[in-house]
Amino acid sequence: MRVFVIGLDSAPPELLFNEFDLPNIRRLLRKSIYGPMKSCVPAITIPAWMCMATGKTPGELGLYGFRHRKGNSYDEIWIAHSLMVKEKAVWDYAGERGLKSVVLGVPPSYPPKKIRGWMVGCFITPDASTNYTYPPELKREIERVVGDYIFDVVFRKENREEVREKIWEMTEKRFELVRYLLETKDWDFFEFVEIGLDRVHHAFWKFFDENHHLHEPNSPFKNVIPDYYRLLDREIGKTLKLLDEDTAVLIVSDHGIKRMKGCFAVNQWLIEEGLLKADLNGIKPGTKLESVEVRWKDTIAWAWGGYYARIFINVRGRERRGVVRMSEYDKVRDEIAEMIRSIRGPNGEKWNTKVFYPEEIYPVAKGDKPDMMVYFDDLYWRSAGTLGWETNYLLENDTGPDDAVHSEYGVFALHKPDIEESKHVQCTIYDFAPTVLNLLGLSDVAETLRGNVIG
Amino acid sequence: MELKEVRIPAEIYEKIEERIKETEFESVDEYVTYVLREVLASLEEEEEQVFSEEEEEKVKERLRALGYLD
Repeated sequence: MRVFVIGLDSAPPELLFNEFDLPNIRRLLRKSIYGPMKSCVPAITIPAWMCMATGKTPGELGLYGFRHRKGNSYDEIWIAHSLMVKEKAVWDYAGERGLKSVVLGVPPSYPPKKIRGWMVGCFITPDASTNYTYPPELKREIERVVGDYIFDVVFRKENREEVREKIWEMTEKRFELVRYLLETKDWDFFEFVEIGLDRVHHAFWKFFDENHHLHEPNSPFKNVIPDYYRLLDREIGKTLKLLDEDTAVLIVSDHGIKRMKGCFAVNQWLIEEGLLKADLNGIKPGTKLESVEVRWKDTIAWAWGGYYARIFINVRGRERRGVVRMSEYDKVRDEIAEMIRSIRGPNGEKWNTKVFYPEEIYPVAKGDKPDMMVYFDDLYWRSAGTLGWETNYLLENDTGPDDAVHSEYGVFALHKPDIEESKHVQCTIYDFAPTVLNLLGLSDVAETLRGNVIG
Repeated sequence: MELKEVRIPAEIYEKIEERIKETEFESVDEYVTYVLREVLASLEEEEEQVFSEEEEEKVKERLRALGYLD
């Protein structure tokens, strides 16, 4: 059976399944198995889309986010890209059996990999002047069909009108390209990811969500999020019309989204606790850790910010100026974890903070892993790595306007010809790959993966 | 951190012992771990050269503006 996958970055079950007037999506759901899909840890675009496509954990992939430390360095990083994914994705397994795939914008897909089929780069593509397609000739076709292809829209700007317009343009072009490839290529498996939904959520959430602490009730942007969902619904409707009845259709997301309650200045907190020693004299609010003088010989731990926090312990023999002995590593880490779990909110309220040790939550933790991964208050509080703030609790994002954070549950919906009624399911991101492989007739491969076949 | 044993020729062991005197390395184990890490990291680095310097800056700047590198 042919399989067509619609990837909507950050679509949460609460909105996609229940809110707004979305006739095309609802029609599909009426004959689908669907429900919330639990993301990986960390619930971030990279690695989540590749966990879905490979059925492997971030630990097995050695991907824990967009950036990683270069060989235990304090300040050098590498950026995740497609070649760092060494595990096979569903399209690789399909290709081995002679099936052809179209893979469009599934992060990370730059540089485009040689697959049996066609691949188009995702939003980490530097720009349209690079070779962002496989085969390289596909790029000319794209330019002919949509003109200048748009990979992404940077949303952390005050000029939100411009952000809105650009996201609309990007999404319309993406669907135009999807429909072109769908009709002209001889594919068995097709997956694309629309990143615009995530950008719309982050840029316009406070105008939409009455519970957001910075909610602006009568803003001209209050309908941007609902309008964008309707745009997606129209585009999906037009696209589904081109598919025959024998095609299985999936709608999935890599994680969900929810209102941001604030940012927690984690490095500042580590300094207060005496775990990080740095010279903060005369620094401005928002100063990066790399820009201040850290006294590494007295530092036990430091952190990276983001939707989740990564904590690194300064280990003797591992870090250049490490201090924590390997024999004390476990004890020190447990102590810091306990301190982190006991952090309370700005008004003394209890937080539901989660601390993860990579080697405990994955079968194996490859690559440049952090020592701890932290969800402050179940991700409601973003982690700010910057310094110089009057308080550790920032009500606005420290690095430009951003109103939303990730949530752990994305969406899963599977429609196939033999489903007559909707059925509710709860699944995990690891169930996607075996489910798709099974639909493609590769049940023997599906059995080798940890997830379950749905449907 | 789980530790495992490896064996190295005595001659190398002694050379390292000599070498780490008056350094911050407190044991041969520490030194060997450090050196192996460096070697492995440099091997991995070769595989990682996908973006040119200019491209990498462009991508980092975008990812920063998207909130992935805070």
